[in-house]
Amino acid sequence: MIESERQARVRKSTSLHLAMEAAETLRQITEFPDNPESMAYFYDIYQSRFKDGMILPQNGKKLVGTMCLQVPDELIVAAGAVPVRLCSGAYAFDQAGGDFMPAKSCPLVRATMGMLQVNNDTMKDNLSTIVIPTTCDQKRSSVEMLRNMDYPVTVLEMPASKESDEARTYWQESVKQFALSIQKTCGRKITAKALNAAVRTKLEAGKLFRSLQQLRTESHPVILGKDIWLVSNSYFFDDPDQWCKAVGKLIAELDSRKSAGFSAINRKAPRLLFTGSPPIFPNLKLPILVEQAGGLVVADETCSSERLLHDAVVFDEKNLNDMVPAIADRYLKPCTCPCLTPNTDRAKKILEMVRSNRVEGVVYQAFSGCLPYEMEQRGISDMLSREGVPMLFVETDYSPEDQGQLSTRVEAFIESIKVRKRKKQ
Amino acid sequence: MSSIRKFLNNSDINRFRFYFQLSAFILLVYGGYLAINIGEQLPTFACVFDDKRGGSCYLLGFQHQMASPYARLFSGAGIGVLIGLLTFVGFFIIFNKAWCGFACPLGAIQDWLTMLRCKMGIYYSSYSEPVFKRLSTIKYILLALLILIPMGIGNSFFGLPTLNHDFGVPFCMICPGRTLLPLFNGDFSQLAIDFSSKTKMVFSGLGLGITGMFLAGAFAKKRFFCLFCPMSALHYIFSRASLLRLTKDGEKCTRCGNCYRVCDVGIRAIADDLEHKNIVKDDCMMCLKCVSACPEDGCLKASFLGMPVYESTAEGFFRRRLKEDD
Repeated sequence: MIESERQARVRKSTSLHLAMEAAETLRQITEFPDNPESMAYFYDIYQSRFKDGMILPQNGKKLVGTMCLQVPDELIVAAGAVPVRLCSGAYAFDQAGGDFMPAKSCPLVRATMGMLQVNNDTMKDNLSTIVIPTTCDQKRSSVEMLRNMDYPVTVLEMPASKESDEARTYWQESVKQFALSIQKTCGRKITAKALNAAVRTKLEAGKLFRSLQQLRTESHPVILGKDIWLVSNSYFFDDPDQWCKAVGKLIAELDSRKSAGFSAINRKAPRLLFTGSPPIFPNLKLPILVEQAGGLVVADETCSSERLLHDAVVFDEKNLNDMVPAIADRYLKPCTCPCLTPNTDRAKKILEMVRSNRVEGVVYQAFSGCLPYEMEQRGISDMLSREGVPMLFVETDYSPEDQGQLSTRVEAFIESIKVRKRKKQ
Repeated sequence: MSSIRKFLNNSDINRFRFYFQLSAFILLVYGGYLAINIGEQLPTFACVFDDKRGGSCYLLGFQHQMASPYARLFSGAGIGVLIGLLTFVGFFIIFNKAWCGFACPLGAIQDWLTMLRCKMGIYYSSYSEPVFKRLSTIKYILLALLILIPMGIGNSFFGLPTLNHDFGVPFCMICPGRTLLPLFNGDFSQLAIDFSSKTKMVFSGLGLGITGMFLAGAFAKKRFFCLFCPMSALHYIFSRASLLRLTKDGEKCTRCGNCYRVCDVGIRAIADDLEHKNIVKDDCMMCLKCVSACPEDGCLKASFLGMPVYESTAEGFFRRRLKEDD
């Protein structure tokens, strides 16, 4: 009795904090001048999703929670359920997770676990299962914790490397087993037709995301990076068709901005690439700081945005035996997650992005406790310095406390790029 | 110019290839009816045993020539051999290995078998990369044999007795082109086992066995026979000199593996090789499916005399993938 009262109190205060946090992030985002009108759709969905605790999408279908972008959500959609990515960016949940998670754990995992703990009684019934791929240590270890909280958990076994044939075959088999188990969970058989439709929807989303990326990196920037995070983050939970429609509208608006010669920010603003631990709403602290300081994030290499939608499934024969391995391939082969070893593809991709987007500086975020990204930082930094591209490495977490100190560093970094640019001219 | 290029890059190469293959098949198998003969040294299986053919495969003449004694081979008659080879190379370097993907009648038959299998909803068989690598050497062995066996007719190796003339065109005897292509003109005579001599009996029996394997193999595995094709091995010797090239820009590659996924002959390097620009491997048939499956702008490119003719673009990629089912 006392325990359940305590739980209710914690949930109430967490919800309150969460709503405040979301409102604050949205305030900062909308404070920028010249926000595209069609961004209103995205501002609104965050407003409503976070205003009262954590609202899961509800449309009568079964919900399947995912804890990483490595989960092939096409299979979940084809099984008639709605995938929701649970990875949380909320400091309120991070604090709730702090009650039972190690102090040095990654804030993303801590916040996600905190969210699932605080909302245990409702989410347990709403989520048909939570799919956790065996990617980084902390996500792996949360499997047992969630089972102890009585959540149904599906483990998706992922190899630690993607180079060998054995690893690739193992992953394909793993995804196949996942497909079999998810159709049992959801009570609907995956058919080639349904799967094809799900693949198409994601392809459509990927196509739109690429167009958006193109517009974002124009020499007359028509949209700021802070809005892109909202767009891509909302793919975690939004209905894909609605999402595509909203993004289509946004692109149309940005296209007309482009032809009108409009520029959302000073054209000389330093062009930046954002990489490292994923910014997830409401924790858009660093990306917002960067643009408040006069920088422009023209591209990102993160699993909460670019990696989520860039790659596309291709299969040769329209039957499940070819489609399911093809889907598996899309999630493993181009993956640049630092939990993979070797991960030379990530360095290569960053370099290519720097070149093709005419990037002048890189912002590298690592959550304290996110060892894979922290450890790769040095290699990436060395590579970039050989290329003559400055990099700002920021180790941070979800708390707003370091904002002041961070903004000083970010401003200095952006100023230094500006000085470099002036000297070059 | 840029709109033509865009049209090409947005196009669906698979459909184009299907119709091209069909036309090439008709030309090479039935061309004789219209008194068409496009050449005697074609780098593709326009089978000589099909008397209504519209051109001839180089391998038959080549094996015949190899049967000459050394003395003749290196005399004035050698010029004929050389001219034959040069004509072959001349045909070949224009289209490179696209002869296999777009013109070869045996290739077309295999692709049709694959279509049939897909229609029937049967899954292809797959095998691992190392096995594939090992199988790949067979075609070089066949190429060596189709030169060495005829040579053994006109010359004695290490003082051994020379082979009789029944060994004349050893590869043709076991080639499924000889047994299958005449069938399209109603000629079933090549399906018989020739009992006139032991050698002929063995070869024609082997030929029938291989034909069976060809049909079964191609049904289960895309372009199964191409892995063993000595013509493909002979092509590869001259491939680098070709005017038609398939190149890859490793910097733009994300190693997503889409190209490898759709590759009928399972060339892994197409996805994983980031260093080499020329990406045509010995098994490649330049069907350009890889280019059409690549979602990165300018990563894979087919060019003729340095002019890009088909290039991977994100726009074309999404157009093809999203159109396919409508």
